[in-house]
Amino acid sequence: MSEKWTITLRTYRQKEGEAPRYDDFTLDVDPDEYVLDAVERVWAFHDRSLCFRHACHHSTCGACGMRVNGVEKLTCITILRDVTQNGATLKVEPLRNFPVVSDLAVDMGDFYKKNEMVDARAVLPVIEAEIEHPSSAWNPNDAQYIRLSDCLECGMCISACPVAATTSEYLGPAPLAAAQDRGIRRNPELLNIVDSEDGLWRCHSAFECTAVCPSFVDPGRRIMDLRKQVIGAKLGQLFGK
Amino acid sequence: MSKPHIIIIGAGFTGVATAHDLALRGCDVTVIERGDICNGTSGRTHGLLHSGGRYAVKDKESAVECIEENMILRRIVPQVIEPNGGLFIAIEESDLSYAEQFIESCEECGIQIDELTPQQALKLEPNINPNLLSAFIIPDGTFDPLRLALAFAGTAKHNGARFRTFTEVEGLLTDGQGNVNGVKVLDRAANRLLELRADVVVNATGAWAGQITGMAGLDAPVQPTPGIMVAYDQRLVQRAVNRLNVPGDGDIVLPQRRMVVVGTTSFDAENVDYIPVTEDQVKLMLERGSELIPGIRNTKPRGIYMATRPLVGGGSGRSIARTFKCFDHKETHGIDGLVTITGGKATTLRIMAEKTADVVCAKLGIDMSCVTKETPLLSYRQYYTIPN
Amino acid sequence: MNNQPSAKKFLGWFNPLGRNPGSWAFIISRITALGLTLYLFLHLIVLGRLAQGPEAYQEFLALTENPVVKIGELAVIGAVIYHGLNGIRIVLTSFGIGVTRQAQLFYASIVLAIVGTLVFTIRMFAG
Repeated sequence: MSEKWTITLRTYRQKEGEAPRYDDFTLDVDPDEYVLDAVERVWAFHDRSLCFRHACHHSTCGACGMRVNGVEKLTCITILRDVTQNGATLKVEPLRNFPVVSDLAVDMGDFYKKNEMVDARAVLPVIEAEIEHPSSAWNPNDAQYIRLSDCLECGMCISACPVAATTSEYLGPAPLAAAQDRGIRRNPELLNIVDSEDGLWRCHSAFECTAVCPSFVDPGRRIMDLRKQVIGAKLGQLFGK
Repeated sequence: MSKPHIIIIGAGFTGVATAHDLALRGCDVTVIERGDICNGTSGRTHGLLHSGGRYAVKDKESAVECIEENMILRRIVPQVIEPNGGLFIAIEESDLSYAEQFIESCEECGIQIDELTPQQALKLEPNINPNLLSAFIIPDGTFDPLRLALAFAGTAKHNGARFRTFTEVEGLLTDGQGNVNGVKVLDRAANRLLELRADVVVNATGAWAGQITGMAGLDAPVQPTPGIMVAYDQRLVQRAVNRLNVPGDGDIVLPQRRMVVVGTTSFDAENVDYIPVTEDQVKLMLERGSELIPGIRNTKPRGIYMATRPLVGGGSGRSIARTFKCFDHKETHGIDGLVTITGGKATTLRIMAEKTADVVCAKLGIDMSCVTKETPLLSYRQYYTIPN
Repeated sequence: MNNQPSAKKFLGWFNPLGRNPGSWAFIISRITALGLTLYLFLHLIVLGRLAQGPEAYQEFLALTENPVVKIGELAVIGAVIYHGLNGIRIVLTSFGIGVTRQAQLFYASIVLAIVGTLVFTIRMFAG
């Protein structure tokens, strides 16, 4: 932690009524710090007009998702050493497929609306969260424990999804994953929401969402499982349940 | 008669909870925040929904506040809480000698406390230190920092409050006699200066309270006191685990999603806009955390960060009471139109807001009492889904 | 403000920077699909010609000696093997089968497409 690197932080800037541009800032950093620390440093000591979002600094709030050298990262847990080197330029940009509010902060309204539409669970019983233990290994006593769900609603999956790039109507990985978590059988009202023109059939299995998710949601797998659920439900309807 | 306009500076816990309270009391509220919701101290809170056990012995006022607010928050905003309770465990003899006064004090403060044998405790939490001497169970909890604030902010927005984020206060507007009647702000997204008038300006900037009062030529008696937090990448326990002893460094471990978070330390700092992490404090958290949960040594740090508490009053570090104070600057310095609320902790956000809103309403002759105790909050997503 | 989704951004599908195997599968499937569709048209045109008599057949045989056409045919073979196998991969994963091994299934499709193309290359130029 006492090593010192000098890097150039190249950050996307966009202000109302101006063309987007990139600003370079030379920073002395500790390579074991996080990308978010470097961005915060720029704000604190170089340019107070830099707009970015951050809150918890430990991957529970989902506010600090950005593109780091073109790849979606949760910057509070992304160590500088893993994404850059001494003397290099570190590029930081806002998430794709969201309207930019200012600089690195994007408008999450539409995304949160979709999560509301599927009533994504914010808290759930620990035994349903599929942590390391399969459900059979849980002690029946553990069923009483509640934990915050895995999805941070950071939006990185939407940013990485090639289908979400072409339309803002697509429900998107996180909302679909949340629908899978709630389950069609338990919540049949979700069927028409996900089995729709811009619902789960628009997924083309690129699995970028799973690749960038910082929080073990594995949206790609969940969307595929949701397809099983939907097919099961529709077959059930067909054969008159 | 038009609604009174209140400007709240700061969208941390205090700011958003006050906006919620005042919106319900019929005020027109604008919240000004130089960053976004919770990007200062509040976002980086440990996330402990205090039962008050930690303060029961030395700071009873704070402890009683905690347990009452703990119960209220469980009712009005369960969507952001892991309500699994907490343990206080004794590892050494010196911890054990604290037990008697601890039990007495908790009972005095109305905090439900039960003793467990080490075997019972290990059955509940297999990963705690197997050499523990004793354990007590109390109603702690864990919450998601940002979403707790979003729930208040979203409900406030639903009730008409406006949020101007990425907008920094550059100065206070005053009338001819030095009383505050608005703010001069820089909208950073649009690069535009604005003047906004208000009947009362509430300074809810917590650790930065002095910066705002400084604009009126006043001091705020807040001592910014940072501390470190380290989040490790395995959920080793299902409930909060506290060290049974007087409050010290690294004596709380919380579960949160798939992590455990160890905190914290306490030191003075000058510039609280950015506080770098120091290696010795990280090492200390590892040592102290693994005294409670040895398995932490086999995990990897996931996030390491510093958060700055706003401590009110004289003295320094842990000797300062953790209660909050609301200052009506008309009473403190003869400057009307400015109210500062600072101190406190996350668990008491609602009552801090209640007291502040009481002060504001008294100033403006608004005869409405607080209803936030019984009002369930809307989905935290409302903050983003309701357009600005 | 820009940065919003738009139908034009489908061109971004063909940008391989920073992509994971799943995206590569997606991109190559689309390219092979376009290629195979073009091939289908050419095939139908050629068939149409062939229906016009024996001289047309001689012309056609001459065409197949052209090295460019031979390479084109090999490309079609590679494309059809890959596209078919990836199609099966997608059907499987769509039913929740093999999702955790989707990257390996992609690599297998690529390997089999290359191997298949090599086999036909050898047959084509040796026989």
